[in-house]
Amino acid sequence: MAAAPVTAGPVPARRRSRGIPERRLANLMVTPSLLLIALVALYPVIYGVWVSMHQYSLITAGLSRWASPAGLGNYKEALQSSEFWDATRVTLIFTVASVVLETILGLAMALIMKEAFRGQGVVRTVVLVPWAVLTVVTAIMWKTIFDPNLGFVNQILGGNTVWLGEEPQALLVMIFADTWKTAPFMALLLLAGLQVIPSDIYEAAKVDGATTWQRFTRITLPLLTPALLVALIFRTMDALRAFDLPKVLTNGANGTTTLSLLSQRTFQENRLYGPGSAIAILTFILVMIVAFLYIRLVGGNLRGMTED
Amino acid sequence: MSRRLTAFFVAALLGGGVVAACGSDSNSSGGGGGGGGSTSSSSAPKIEGAKVIDPASMNGAKGNVTLCMGKDTSGDKTALVKQFNSANPGITAKLLEFSTSADEQRAQFVQRQEAKSGECDVFYSDVIWTAEFASQKWLYDMTPYLDSKKSELIPATLKTVDYAGKLWGVPQQTDAAFLYYRDDQVQTPPTTWQQVYDVAKQNDGIVYQGAPYEGLTCDFLELAFAAGGKVLSDDQKKSAINSPQNVKALQFMADGVKNGVAANGVTTYMEEESRRYFESGKATFMRNWPYAYALGEKKGTAVAGKFKVMPFPQFEGGGKAAILGGHNFVISAYSKNPAAALKLTDFFISPEVQKTEFTDYSLAPTLASVYDDPDVQKKYAFAQELKQSVSQAQARPVSPVYPQISQAIYNNVNAALSGKASPADAMKTADDQINKALATF
Repeated sequence: MAAAPVTAGPVPARRRSRGIPERRLANLMVTPSLLLIALVALYPVIYGVWVSMHQYSLITAGLSRWASPAGLGNYKEALQSSEFWDATRVTLIFTVASVVLETILGLAMALIMKEAFRGQGVVRTVVLVPWAVLTVVTAIMWKTIFDPNLGFVNQILGGNTVWLGEEPQALLVMIFADTWKTAPFMALLLLAGLQVIPSDIYEAAKVDGATTWQRFTRITLPLLTPALLVALIFRTMDALRAFDLPKVLTNGANGTTTLSLLSQRTFQENRLYGPGSAIAILTFILVMIVAFLYIRLVGGNLRGMTED
Repeated sequence: MSRRLTAFFVAALLGGGVVAACGSDSNSSGGGGGGGGSTSSSSAPKIEGAKVIDPASMNGAKGNVTLCMGKDTSGDKTALVKQFNSANPGITAKLLEFSTSADEQRAQFVQRQEAKSGECDVFYSDVIWTAEFASQKWLYDMTPYLDSKKSELIPATLKTVDYAGKLWGVPQQTDAAFLYYRDDQVQTPPTTWQQVYDVAKQNDGIVYQGAPYEGLTCDFLELAFAAGGKVLSDDQKKSAINSPQNVKALQFMADGVKNGVAANGVTTYMEEESRRYFESGKATFMRNWPYAYALGEKKGTAVAGKFKVMPFPQFEGGGKAAILGGHNFVISAYSKNPAAALKLTDFFISPEVQKTEFTDYSLAPTLASVYDDPDVQKKYAFAQELKQSVSQAQARPVSPVYPQISQAIYNNVNAALSGKASPADAMKTADDQINKALATF
C-alpha cells in the first residue's frame, strides 16, 4: 500500500512523454460512460422518434409502414386533434398553478426550517412527510378526502360538490394534491440554497440598518436565485410530465387529461404505437423548450446581475 | 461565477433531459413493438389457416406443459396444477406467473406471442382479450374440442370465445354482477329497471360504478343490452352504438343522476367506493360484482344481514342482460405440446376442479351443474342468482380494438351522466370514435 504512490507517480509522466497524448487518454476514459449514456438515454429517444414516424396496425403490416406524409402523419394527426390541445392546455395550467403555489409555500417552509428554534428537527421531518408518500397513495388519499359522501371536505365546507366529477374542480383538486405533495421538495432544495448564504452578509446588513424585508429582498432572494432556478426547473419538468396523479384521481375525466396520460392511453391501452410515440415526442419537445426558456430568460438575467 | 452557473444549469438540464428520455423510453418499449405479421383481410373478420386442436390427441399426451397467468394470488392454480401432475404421471405441468396487473399480464403474453415463443402453452386469458389474440392467429381453434363439451357449459360463457365463427378458448371461470338490495326497505324485488329506480327514489337511491373506466362500460352495457342496444354491427365492421335503444338507456341513467336517485358523486365511483357507500347504509340498491357479498355480510357494516342479491331485472320494452367477466383457457399456436395443453385445459373444466375453485377460492364455474351442487349451495346463498345472472349475460364487444371501444363508451357515457353532453350527442361522439378505432385495424 505504502509503495503504491511511489510507483504510480512516474507512470503518467512516461505516458505523457511517449504514450497516448493526455487529451486522447481523457477522451478514451470517458468513452464507456458516454456509451452507457447513449445506450440508456439516447437510444430510447431515437427509437421513440422512429416508432412515432411509423404506422402501426394490429392486423396489417406491423411497424413497417411509413406514416405519410414524410413520416410525419402521426404528428400531423396529433397536432390537428382537439384531444392533444386540450391535454396541452391542461398540462400547462396544471404546471403553472402547481409550480407557483409550490414555490411560494416551499420558500415559506424553507425560511421557517432555516431558523434555529426548539423542535427544529421535528419540524423538518414533519414537513418532509408528504414528499415521502408515494404519488399514487397521495392520489388515493385525496380522492377519499374529496369524496362527496365519505370524505370530510364536504362535511366541513357544507354543500355536496362532486369534487372530482366537475370541471374545473377536478383540476383544482389535482393542483392541490400536487402542491401538498411537492412543496416539501421545493422547501428542501431552497433550504439547501439558504444554508450556503454566509451569515456575515446578514450581520453586515443589520449593522447598516437594513430591515427584515430589505434583507429578504436584497440578500436572500438574489443569493437564492441559483437554487430557486434549479428547483423551478426540476418541478416544472416534473409537472409537465404529470401522469400518476391524474391517472389515479380521475383517469383523465373532467378536464384532467395531461399529455403523459394521453400518450400512455394511446400507446399502451390502445396499442397505437405510432400516434402514442408522436404525442410522447411532442411532450418531450415541449419540456425541452420550457427548459431552454428558463435558461435563456432567468439565466440571462442572472448573468447580468452578477456582472453588475 | 457566471461560468459556474452555466455549468450548473447544463447539469440540471441534462438531468432533466435524461428523466424525460426515460419517460418516453418506458412508453416506447412497454408494448414490445414488434409487428403483427399476419396478412390483411379487407372483408369481415375471418381467420384463415389457424391451427385446429385435435380432441383425441390429449389421450396419449405426455411431456411438459406450461400454464401462464397473472399472479396466482388465491393459490388455487398452484394447488390444482400439483393435483394435475400427480393424476397424470406422464405430464409435468408448470405454472408461470405474470404480474398482478391485468394490462401487464396482457403485455407479457403479447410479447411472447410476437416473438413466436412457445413458452406459454396455455394462457389464462381475460375474456376481453380472447378475440384480439385470435385475430393475430396466436391461438388454437378449439371448436372441435368444444363440440362435445359445449352442452355442459353455461351457454352464455361461450360468447366470450366466439370470434369469426369459431371458438378460440375454453371458458374456465366466469363472473356476472348482481343488483344488491336492502331487503329491510324493499319487500318485493322489482321486476324492471324502471321499478328499481322508482323504489330507489322513494328510499335511499342506487349506487353503481360511474367513473370513466372499464367498470362504467359494463354498467352502461348492462342497461343498453337490456334495452335492446348493440355496440357493433353484426359483421363487426361498424359501430352500432348510436341507436335509439342505447340513447334511451343512457337517458335513463342520466335522469337518475340528475334526479338524485343515483348517489351524488356516482360519476367518480368505482367498485370499492360504491361498496363502501352501500355498506355505510346510504343506498337502497347497488350494482356490484359477487365479491361484495361476503364483505357486506361482515360484522361492522351497516347492512350486514339486511341485504339480498338479485340478477338484473328487465328493461321496460326490452329484455334482461348482464355483462360477462372471467377467464378463458386458450392454447398458444406456438405451443410445442398442444396435446398436453389440452389435457390440462380439460382438467380445469372438470366438475370436481370447478367445484373446488368455487367453494375454496370463490371463482365462479362455467359448468352449469356445479351451481346445483348441495355443497356449493350451502356455501353460497346466491349460487342460483349467480347462475341466473351468468345465463342472461352477454359478452362485451368481441373485437381486437376492444380497449378503444371501451374508452369511447365510458368517456362519453360519463360525460352524459355528469351533464356535460346530452345522451344523444354522447352516443354520436362514441359512434365516431368507435368507427375510427375500427378503421385502424
